[in-house]
Amino acid sequence: MNWDKFSLIQFENQIASLFNSGKIPYPVHLSDGNEDQLLEIFTEVEEKDWIFCSWRSHYHCLLKGVPQIEVENAILSGKSISLCFPEHRIFSSAMVGGQIPIALGVALDIKRKAEEHHVWCFMGDMTSETGIAQSSIRFAENFDLPITFIVEDNGVSVMTDTRLVWGLEELTVQRQKYNKAIYYRYKSRYPHAGAGKRVQF
Amino acid sequence: MSLYFSELKRSMTYLATQNESVFLGQAVAVPGTAMRETLVDVPDEKLIELPVEEDLQMGLSIGFALRGQVPISIFPRWNFLLLATNQVVNHLDKLGALTGSPNPPKVIVRTGIGSQKPMYPGPQHTGDFTEVFKLMCKSINVVRLDKAEDIFAQYKLAFLRSDGVSTLLVEWSDKYND
Repeated sequence: MNWDKFSLIQFENQIASLFNSGKIPYPVHLSDGNEDQLLEIFTEVEEKDWIFCSWRSHYHCLLKGVPQIEVENAILSGKSISLCFPEHRIFSSAMVGGQIPIALGVALDIKRKAEEHHVWCFMGDMTSETGIAQSSIRFAENFDLPITFIVEDNGVSVMTDTRLVWGLEELTVQRQKYNKAIYYRYKSRYPHAGAGKRVQF
Repeated sequence: MSLYFSELKRSMTYLATQNESVFLGQAVAVPGTAMRETLVDVPDEKLIELPVEEDLQMGLSIGFALRGQVPISIFPRWNFLLLATNQVVNHLDKLGALTGSPNPPKVIVRTGIGSQKPMYPGPQHTGDFTEVFKLMCKSINVVRLDKAEDIFAQYKLAFLRSDGVSTLLVEWSDKYND
């Protein structure tokens, strides 16, 4: 399926509706407001590339080419928080920064074998300030690994203001101008988890 | 040289003959630890010297496993491996559940209970967390290598098993020189 902004939003609206009607008794992490940015990034992603994500990865899986029904079934069975589709080379983690060094290992092995595939590692703004993110980005820069880190900045982690708690005006990834890290800002209408009314779990 | 040490060296040399094996950690390609002495017959191209950042090393090892390699990820002391607990417990142990695969990628983790002879290095270098990790890891086979006679068989099993089970092998550093 060729996804566009409208169909992505429609997909998440459908998931939100199922969640709000009690048909998904598990946490869901919905995307919103970053359709244009992701559609542009995924024009660069090849079928054999690897994708690493956090707990918010519905759009990423769809744009990588996982059939809609497979994504829906995984979400309905409680896997929204860590969607993994090995056959599509997608790995997600519900742990802050957990996917990052794993992505780094894939990129290092690709380079050692002189293969052409690329790794795309997505993370949020708070994650991008952690030690594991900064170490991994430096390692990838120093060894020129085939990986791009994408910082998806909605300004908060759950409800905590990233810049406020780190004492920053700009994120480190904005200041450092890394070659292997890109950044975009977006605003979502959805809370951290759930679909409308914030769900605490 | 003790039988314990020679069996470890034999195990590493055996693993090095396997196409999929790769050895990662600090002091794997350069001298610096007793474990390094067990790797002297491993070809250089199989050794990846890494910066000291244990959680990064463990994650990186899982990445190699996702690519079809069987990494032997080396942490010279249990106390050091504690710093990779996040990747061990939340990712390596959960790979089957996360990926839905009955046969997920596997990693061989190698660590040791720090030696107390000829010098006692203090409480931060001599821990043994084997039993705790057995409780924390539901799908990783955690094995303490108490007897030299078990070493080769356990490393061979860790590599050859086809059920996707990762193995964490714990060595007694004091037995290297007995």
